[in-house]
Amino acid sequence: MKKNIFYYLIFAPALIVIVFLTVYPIVNVFHMSFFKYNYLSDTKIFIGLKNFKRIMGDDLFHTAFLNTIVFSVVATFIEVSLGIFLALLFYGQFFGKRVFMVMIIFPMMLSTMVISALWKTLYHFDIGLLNYVLRSIGLKPIGWLINPKIALFSIILVDIWQWTPFAFILIHAGLNTIQREIFEAASIDGANYFKTLIHITFPILSGQILLVILLRTIDTFRIFSKVYALTQGGPGNATETLTYYVYREGFTYFNLGRAATASIYILIVIAFISYFYLRNIIGEESV
Amino acid sequence: MKKKITMIILAMFLVLFPAIIWATGQAEKGPVKLTIAGRDGGYGKAMQIAVDEYMKKHPDVSFEVLKLPGASLYEKVVIDMKNAVGTYDVIMIDDPIATQFQKAGWLTNLDELYKKKGLSLDPDLISTAVKLGRYPYTDSGTLYALPHVGNVELFAYRKDLFQKLGLSKPAKWDDVLDAAKKIRESFPDVYGVVFRGVKGNPIVAGFLPIYWAFGGKVLVNGKPALDSQQALNALKFFLKLKQYAPEGVAMYNSAQVKDALYGGKAGIVTEVWPSWVPKLNDPNESRVVNKVEVTTHPGEVEKSSPMIGVWLLGIPKASKHHDAAFDFLQFITGKEMQIKMADEVGLAPTRDSVYKVAKLVSKYPWYPVQNQALKNAVGRPRTTKWSELENIFGTYLQLALIGSMDPEKALKEANAKMKEVLE
Repeated sequence: MKKNIFYYLIFAPALIVIVFLTVYPIVNVFHMSFFKYNYLSDTKIFIGLKNFKRIMGDDLFHTAFLNTIVFSVVATFIEVSLGIFLALLFYGQFFGKRVFMVMIIFPMMLSTMVISALWKTLYHFDIGLLNYVLRSIGLKPIGWLINPKIALFSIILVDIWQWTPFAFILIHAGLNTIQREIFEAASIDGANYFKTLIHITFPILSGQILLVILLRTIDTFRIFSKVYALTQGGPGNATETLTYYVYREGFTYFNLGRAATASIYILIVIAFISYFYLRNIIGEESV
Repeated sequence: MKKKITMIILAMFLVLFPAIIWATGQAEKGPVKLTIAGRDGGYGKAMQIAVDEYMKKHPDVSFEVLKLPGASLYEKVVIDMKNAVGTYDVIMIDDPIATQFQKAGWLTNLDELYKKKGLSLDPDLISTAVKLGRYPYTDSGTLYALPHVGNVELFAYRKDLFQKLGLSKPAKWDDVLDAAKKIRESFPDVYGVVFRGVKGNPIVAGFLPIYWAFGGKVLVNGKPALDSQQALNALKFFLKLKQYAPEGVAMYNSAQVKDALYGGKAGIVTEVWPSWVPKLNDPNESRVVNKVEVTTHPGEVEKSSPMIGVWLLGIPKASKHHDAAFDFLQFITGKEMQIKMADEVGLAPTRDSVYKVAKLVSKYPWYPVQNQALKNAVGRPRTTKWSELENIFGTYLQLALIGSMDPEKALKEANAKMKEVLE
């Protein structure tokens, strides 16, 4: 009993911080979602579930939701796949390995706004480097940020460029914890490279890979700054995302009730994804 | 022992409490520090010039100047004023959003301050610009903000190319279309026309002079009016014009338009703000020295309808330095300072007399035109929902511009969405 009290006392400061910084804001957001609340005019009217209904029927929210799912799935899949590929490549020894490693990690160290400004210049339809190269080899220029069918993928490409190094570092670190004797034993037993990869490397690394997928899924699901800096949701609504939707409702229109409701939808999806992955990473009993 | 500790604490309290009260009083009486929430870029430079000059004359006043992008400035001042924190003593306000602040009662009544100081508003300040700082939006409305930057939308064209093609100054928008076509066909390296196509505010600001000239209205009696024939004619014309614009015009914002203008790549620019052109005749910055005519927009079924976009200066009610802030407002909107800011960074004046200063007119030959445009300019609708309405309008305009939606459908859907917002 005394031991329990001691643990609770140690735990108390952290608990208080969590309650004030996490639990209270979440409860407050839930509370606000039941109101038509305009911060500017200070009108706050209880409307029950009307915000939820309205947002579910809003075309722009549907577009934003779909775009966010596409962004999250495609970006995470490619980033993690490339991260695995690079980690396997860098597991071997070759000349200049350290230099290449620093070069690969470099994009991750830059600020997203700087990266966005850089890519916005590269993507410029008339004077951008990418279209200059295409024109110089006789190809048609691409509307990287002005073609509604391409714009979202152009932003995904920027995210892949910036965050593949993150997947690479974590998987590379995991790979280096595997004892080399295991691979040697497999080799002596006659297993080729791909069999070793599928039956030894991937099963051992599965926890690490799942963790990277979880972190990248959550991060890409909250995509905001690249959209803000590159397209502001355009052309049309082609690159609208959930966080951008919330930002506009909350900080441009100051419709806090609607912004809170949209945030709850995001929270539900992220909580579901996190639960799914954590169950696999930590094990069903622990979750 | 316990008694001793209690006595010590009590003694400390008795000594410290008056000391704290005294120190607080001293802080209020001490040197004044004004915090200004303003814009970045050229506006920020102009503000710094005014602040430095003011401090030379008033060494007892110090400043903290925040130079922020538009969206960030808006967020910060709204949150601060709503909670009556009083962080800012002077704020820059884009005129369409002034209505929100005025209606919410967050700004200091300047009429009262004028009265208190025994001063009156200088009639040299251009009345169309002053009116934007009044609420209600009438010539006799209460004054809550003073006009600081006399932005008005202008029109620019390459007079050298027009001369070569035997064209004269466009009187109607149809002449603009004709000229854009001829320029594009005759000069392959020059775009016929350039404007801002980014969704939201940029495309709306670029389109409104055309829209108004064709007889379109955004709101009629507080209701959206985008589903009119005039609106459709304007949008169809805009799309015709687009044929002679850069292919990537949908992502053109002020930086790209300025690059095209200064680099000699634009035959006509349908939207030019005074702050974009101060170095147009500077050979170090521009390839089109003395080749560009900056003038007012053509008309169509309506007369020329330039859009006004004044930046105002107001004093939040929660400011703790109303008097000092008001004094600074008088200084920065005064003639001497407006001449200095116009000369050094090209800030658009809001005083009639400044537009007539010979030194400035020789540097900016379009000043007489700009002055006239400012006096005849049209303001955006005065509604607290302008940000939402503008964003809806701008989204559907861009959908039509990139060919994702036909113009009739774009206007109808925008109209319906606007109705929802205003309900």
